[in-house]
Amino acid sequence: MNPRVIGWGLLAAVLGLWQLVATRPEHPEFVLSPVEIAVHFAAALRSGELLPHVGASLLRSLPGFVLGSAIGVILGLLAGVARSLDQMLSPVVFLTYPVPKIVFLPIVMLWIGIGDASKIVIIALACFYPCFVNAYYGARSTPRIMVWASLNMGARRSQVFGKIVVPSALPLVFAGLRVSLALSFILLFSTEMINARSGLGFLIRQAESSLRFDLMYVSIVTVAALGYASDQLLLLARRRVLAWQAATTR
Amino acid sequence: MTRSLVMGVLRRLSLVLAGLTVWELVARSGMFSPIIVPSLARIGRELWFLATSPGSLVEVWQSLFRGLSGFALASVVGVTLGVVMGRSAVAAAFLSPIFSGTYPIPKIALFPIFIYLFGIGSLAKVVLVFLECLYPIVVTTHAGSRAVNRVLLWSAANMGASRGRILARVVVPAAAPFIFAGFRIALPIAMVVVIITEMISSADGLGYLVMYSLASFKTDRMLAAVVVISLLGLALDRLMVALRDRLVFWERLDSYYAE
Repeated sequence: MNPRVIGWGLLAAVLGLWQLVATRPEHPEFVLSPVEIAVHFAAALRSGELLPHVGASLLRSLPGFVLGSAIGVILGLLAGVARSLDQMLSPVVFLTYPVPKIVFLPIVMLWIGIGDASKIVIIALACFYPCFVNAYYGARSTPRIMVWASLNMGARRSQVFGKIVVPSALPLVFAGLRVSLALSFILLFSTEMINARSGLGFLIRQAESSLRFDLMYVSIVTVAALGYASDQLLLLARRRVLAWQAATTR
Repeated sequence: MTRSLVMGVLRRLSLVLAGLTVWELVARSGMFSPIIVPSLARIGRELWFLATSPGSLVEVWQSLFRGLSGFALASVVGVTLGVVMGRSAVAAAFLSPIFSGTYPIPKIALFPIFIYLFGIGSLAKVVLVFLECLYPIVVTTHAGSRAVNRVLLWSAANMGASRGRILARVVVPAAAPFIFAGFRIALPIAMVVVIITEMISSADGLGYLVMYSLASFKTDRMLAAVVVISLLGLALDRLMVALRDRLVFWERLDSYYAE
């Protein structure tokens, strides 16, 4: 059977079951049926209750993700090819890798305020690590034969970097970007739940504490949709950029 | 020879030493109040206080207990699901769309619902840890049990091993390097989720200690708690590597963070 058909079938089955449970008379107050959520979702879109928060959230997560992953990829690639940078950076990065970066939120808040900047810094910090590690190993696993061959053909060091090392590291770089993207959403909602005056994490908290379960579910659905959509976008970009890889493995 | 060795060690430590020196210089310069940049000595004193007071050990235990129980649950369920998905086409056809479809969705958004379902105590946090840890473990175990050498499976079946025996004695050991790769991804995630949930809503645990110290302007204690959390994350990772090297002794760890 086609996996896509099974996937959609399962989704329909789960939603149907949920609908049945949520429309029974004895269901708890905080369980809403999928149909109700859809109705509230449309209403929240029209009333303008939702979109400003989506915008506020994206304005925090996207700069953080772009900043952190760009620095991570660049430094990771460079550390993968330059020994002195490798010795300086890698021990610190690998040592602090398993440390939960969210614990630095309070101190960053103290230094640069409780506004958007501290959230962006924390998201960038968290996104840095997977990108650095993956770009580092991607650059280090460049086939030597290719480097030797290009040097032999008279390529300069910068050319070897740009034409050999970077392309051969790209598949791992994309793997790192995908992890960072997922992390950026987790960090975004946690920082917004911890303290914010706008954004989806704030909306979820506010809806929860004012017992507006409709708004709570609407924001959760929006979070899920944003996470899913951005992941799909990244996969699309990877298919574009790595078209040669798909062609060679086919 | 020795000279280059010394230079190498110095270069490895250079960033850490430079960071600590800059920190201490800034703290002593009097440019900022000790609340914003407390000196290393103050942080050390608070670290000593945390290490010796029984109350803070309870916080450490709370966080550890939540993180490890969620992780343990996820590892049992995740390995089982991953192996079943890897060895049964029917199970894979039904389960893999669920996992690949919900993989990029941030599970942390479900936390408010979990609070309503399981209360504000440990259970909601453990369930969230379980859910976040489940995905990497299932994905790597699935990949590992699909990559088992067929000759091993055939010879086990040929020697009369039952299906269950093949799963337990051939598939799981053969997939062990992959399974441990999943564990190594999931364990830091477990600690991250515990700390986040404790920062958002809790009355105990290390995440709570961080937020409480911040709210009472005890920045030195907050930073000491941050150090404790960092050391805990590091120690757990080292323990996992040691366990892996014990159990998967036939394969050298040659992937991430090998150093």
